Amino acid sequence: MRNSRTLTICRVALLWAAGISVLFPVVWIALASVKTPEQLNDPFLLSFAPTLDGWRNVLSSGILAAAGRSAIVALTTVGISVVVGSMGAYAIARYRAGGTATRFGMLAAQVLPPAVLVFPFLTMAYALRLNDTLVPVIFAHLSFVLPVVTWFLIGFFEAVPRSLEEQAQVDGFTRFQAFRLVVLPQVFPGMGAAAIFGFTLSWNDLFYGLILAPGKAAILPVAIAGFNTFRGVQIGSMSAAILIAVVPVVIASFFIQRRLVQGISGGAVKF
Amino acid sequence: MAIVRFSGVNKSFRSTSVVSDLNLELPDGSFTVLVGPSGCGKSTSLRMLAGLESVTSGTITIADRDVTQLQPRDRDVAMVFQNYALYPHLSVRENIAFPLRAAKEPRANALKRADAVAESLGLAMFLDRKPKALSGGQQQRVAIGRAIIREPSVFLFDEPLSNLDAKLRVETRTELLQIQRRLGITCLYVTHDQEEAMTLSDRMVVMRDGRAVQVGTPIEVFNSPVDTFVAAFVGSPKMNLIAGELTGETFTLPSGFALNVGRVGASGPVTLGIRPDDLVPTVADDADARVKLVELLGPRAIVTVDARDTELTCVVEAARLSGITEGTRITLSARPGAVHAFDTKTGQRLVGADQEKHDG
Repeated sequence: MRNSRTLTICRVALLWAAGISVLFPVVWIALASVKTPEQLNDPFLLSFAPTLDGWRNVLSSGILAAAGRSAIVALTTVGISVVVGSMGAYAIARYRAGGTATRFGMLAAQVLPPAVLVFPFLTMAYALRLNDTLVPVIFAHLSFVLPVVTWFLIGFFEAVPRSLEEQAQVDGFTRFQAFRLVVLPQVFPGMGAAAIFGFTLSWNDLFYGLILAPGKAAILPVAIAGFNTFRGVQIGSMSAAILIAVVPVVIASFFIQRRLVQGISGGAVKF
Repeated sequence: MAIVRFSGVNKSFRSTSVVSDLNLELPDGSFTVLVGPSGCGKSTSLRMLAGLESVTSGTITIADRDVTQLQPRDRDVAMVFQNYALYPHLSVRENIAFPLRAAKEPRANALKRADAVAESLGLAMFLDRKPKALSGGQQQRVAIGRAIIREPSVFLFDEPLSNLDAKLRVETRTELLQIQRRLGITCLYVTHDQEEAMTLSDRMVVMRDGRAVQVGTPIEVFNSPVDTFVAAFVGSPKMNLIAGELTGETFTLPSGFALNVGRVGASGPVTLGIRPDDLVPTVADDADARVKLVELLGPRAIVTVDARDTELTCVVEAARLSGITEGTRITLSARPGAVHAFDTKTGQRLVGADQEKHDG
């Protein structure tokens, strides 16, 4: 009896600790976004008169345009990834295309330091006169979003019984129609989760954005980094910008958390 | 006229042969059952006819049209899988109408025809439900409805009753047969259950290790099994197969136990086959066979006998069971003309039961 109570207390304490350590930075940033630079000198100041100067500064600095560009890049990247990735995942799930080496090797792209790929991208962008546009950024993002989305979907496709598409073929459809009309609908929840997951990956990228589109085509993380001026870090404004970047993704992740676990576990966990 | 022909069909995966030299003709409107143990190649043969497996060599024709290289959708066949393969995201009505969508039938028309088919199968009240809200038997009928709506040339069934409980299996079996008879469509059915094969088929194909061992009507296969494998596979309880020496009308086992078997057109070392229904026990206090177990099945009983360390099975009518309990000493005799003799080494039939005298 005592043991299970102690265990429960430990579990609850651990969860609280984890919760606080995750939420604390967000809360702090929310507070920082409404403090003046003088108030920010004391990091733990809790009673203060809030100001909207930081927010006004941020909103007039073109941060929303940068957020819009981030959205375009992320949506395009995810759109392509989901279409191509679902077909790739299907091939791997059904036909073991590329063997186990491909299935796990495709994640090698995640391990690769972005610095390795960024200069080839930059060179190609210059050659095509696409430097400082969103096009090279999208391609760079595809290099790590597409493999993750594909990998994520494999487990979902494996969970669909083969007899379903065989039945569709016997019923009179081509293999691709069977894939589109019968197999894909079973995988829609997984695709939704993969899309949001991929969106987040693209939305958060700083490195490629910084190198490939540093100026007029700056995406949101780059714009946020822009508040780190040579006169010092404008913490108040930066915090406001960070909130704009973080909050939508947190809300979206909440809605897909089950599917997220399902996908990451390769379909091993079923709900 | 949808006659189906398998001509010299072989299927191998890499170097393993799964189906060897299958030559089979399914007459128009017939119900043919492929039966055999797991791994005998029956499902593979069915899937080759459906177009879901490629043919390594040989040809398959449907209504004199060579379909060997055709995609499943061009073969005009309909199939019911063991797990019914109902589309989970579609309603019952849409499931049944689905094949018509492939045929580019206008949606309203297709749905109306689906309603009619569902009505004929007793599914009218489930039309708007999704498959997971149905019982196993209902799901199976949806799968059948989806198969019949196209009125194909051939019906294919891959162990469709295996997922149903025993009672439902028997009921559905009868319904299936009635539907097939009504529509008159050539049917190829795969099962591992010999009872299903016996009750459903016009013709049975007993398969083993990729080969068709015997093809015939259920009566032919039951009465004249071509080897010990078929003899043991068909009929329940299993046929008694005992190796020993046949001299005149007496069959002697290696243990010395002797059995009177009447006139059999063979002699010397043979494997004798006697169906449990044809092995008659008689109570005799000085006999050397002893009853081991009596299992009552209602009108009949299965009596397991220990004949000097050889186990034999008899089936006795409950009315004639008096005096026979565990431990009773009995003599055994075979009904005249109901004995099969097989070659002990090859298992091939030497002499079959005399069919005129056989009233089993």
